[in-house]
Amino acid sequence: MTGRIEDRREEWDGPVPVPTGATAPFWAGTLEGELRYQACDCGHRQLYPRAVCTACGAEDPPFEASEGVGTIYTYTVCHVPGEPGFAERTPYVVGAIDLAEGPRLLALLDAEPDDLEIGAAVGVRFWQVSEDAAIPVFVPE
Amino acid sequence: MAEPILAGVAESDLGETPDRNWLDNAAVATVRALEDAGCSLDEVDGVAVAGGDDYMPALVLSEYLDLDEPSFLEGTEIGGSSFEHFCGHVRDAMARDEADVVVVAYGSTSKTGPGRDQSLEETHPIDGFVRPTGLFRPPGAYAMAARRHMHEYGTTEEQLAEVAVATREWAAMNPKAAQREPITVDDVLESREIAEPFNLLDCCLVSDGGGAVVLVSEEKAAELGVPEIAVAGVASTSTHRQDVSEMPDMTTTGAAVTGPKAFDQAGITHDDVDVAEIYDSFTYTALVTLEDLGFCEKGEGGEFVSGGTTAPGGELPMNTQGGGLSYCHPGHFGVFVLIEAARQLRGDYEGDRQVDDAEVAVAHGTGGLLSSSSTVVLRRES
Repeated sequence: MTGRIEDRREEWDGPVPVPTGATAPFWAGTLEGELRYQACDCGHRQLYPRAVCTACGAEDPPFEASEGVGTIYTYTVCHVPGEPGFAERTPYVVGAIDLAEGPRLLALLDAEPDDLEIGAAVGVRFWQVSEDAAIPVFVPE
Repeated sequence: MAEPILAGVAESDLGETPDRNWLDNAAVATVRALEDAGCSLDEVDGVAVAGGDDYMPALVLSEYLDLDEPSFLEGTEIGGSSFEHFCGHVRDAMARDEADVVVVAYGSTSKTGPGRDQSLEETHPIDGFVRPTGLFRPPGAYAMAARRHMHEYGTTEEQLAEVAVATREWAAMNPKAAQREPITVDDVLESREIAEPFNLLDCCLVSDGGGAVVLVSEEKAAELGVPEIAVAGVASTSTHRQDVSEMPDMTTTGAAVTGPKAFDQAGITHDDVDVAEIYDSFTYTALVTLEDLGFCEKGEGGEFVSGGTTAPGGELPMNTQGGGLSYCHPGHFGVFVLIEAARQLRGDYEGDRQVDDAEVAVAHGTGGLLSSSSTVVLRRES
């Protein structure tokens, strides 16, 4: 499955990911609308991308494409911006998302706070914020 | 095993110290703590520092104080719990006769100084996930953990607020506390929204300042004639670092591991604890730590802190100097929980500020984003 990519390069003032080393395949995937996680031959699945598998120690665990769906583990509504470029966005929602495949990641939730609850289903979208990366953003399913 | 004696404690000036840098504050706290112990700089043979705006803080403070070839040096950085963590290393060093007088020091200019060095954040692979979310850290990270706790256990914003209200009651009796006006649960709930479910009064202060404690060997303590406040138990751990998404369970902290270990070492149970100094970077931090240390069942922290349990006159006096929520919070609050625990055990205070006949205190530090936990049990030897 691929997630929709929205070009936000013009309007984005926030930090942008810098693909490097183990994270490069992840960010390359985002430009294709694909949310990738590391799926080691031992069966362990992990994000953020690392040079080693945290279960068996294998180096460079391979990437697989996620279905891009998951549930909200928790979230907060930010009234104070934590990074430059977010001032005009407040309030905005940041969540910890449990992907169906297992890994959990922090991401913006593009939703009205009142519409959110823990455990709710969400799906991924991508906001392209630079030439090199599109950040995963989740919306209620 | 021989137990280090907490012989002296002190703060530097707190609040705003625009004419002093972190090192000045750490050094001022150190000389005041030495004076409190009746000990001279010449006698110091060990130094442990964390959190200074320098990547070799133990070397910098040793030079600044012109220490003569210190034999014990510590600079392990595990955030706000570093100072509790140091107590274990000091114990080990003293057991090997490596040191007799160790200063554990902290200083910062969190409020008036330049912004914190962000280099660590910019070099970690998770940054590409976390920083583009704009999450205001640490409040937003702790807020997400608090939200999960509310979801799993029915903890309410009112219960979180109870922690702030009780802490302010203690602060009202502390002339050094930055915030001393009484507050109500409604005041907390109506204060400015920061990161839901946290309002401003759920969050710690931002202060300049420093603190230091002097740990000495039992032989040195006898020589100095100080009250024997012994480090009777110490344990540390971590669950994650850079982001709470890596925290295995946001409703349980490392205190669930360190509490039982430290209590076992000290040979105490919860009933023995007279006073608790529990890191309160946020209301939730203290609430979840009380659960994890076992003062109540998991999930019952909200109920436990309600109705003044931790306030003056309550069943478990906690954060009796006003905590990070109302007294001061220069960034790494862990040194201040040790300072206050020692003062309570020495019986330094008068009236309601003093916990009656306090013999056993728990000092607990938390660091990072709920990432590290260190528990110290202090006991006054009779």
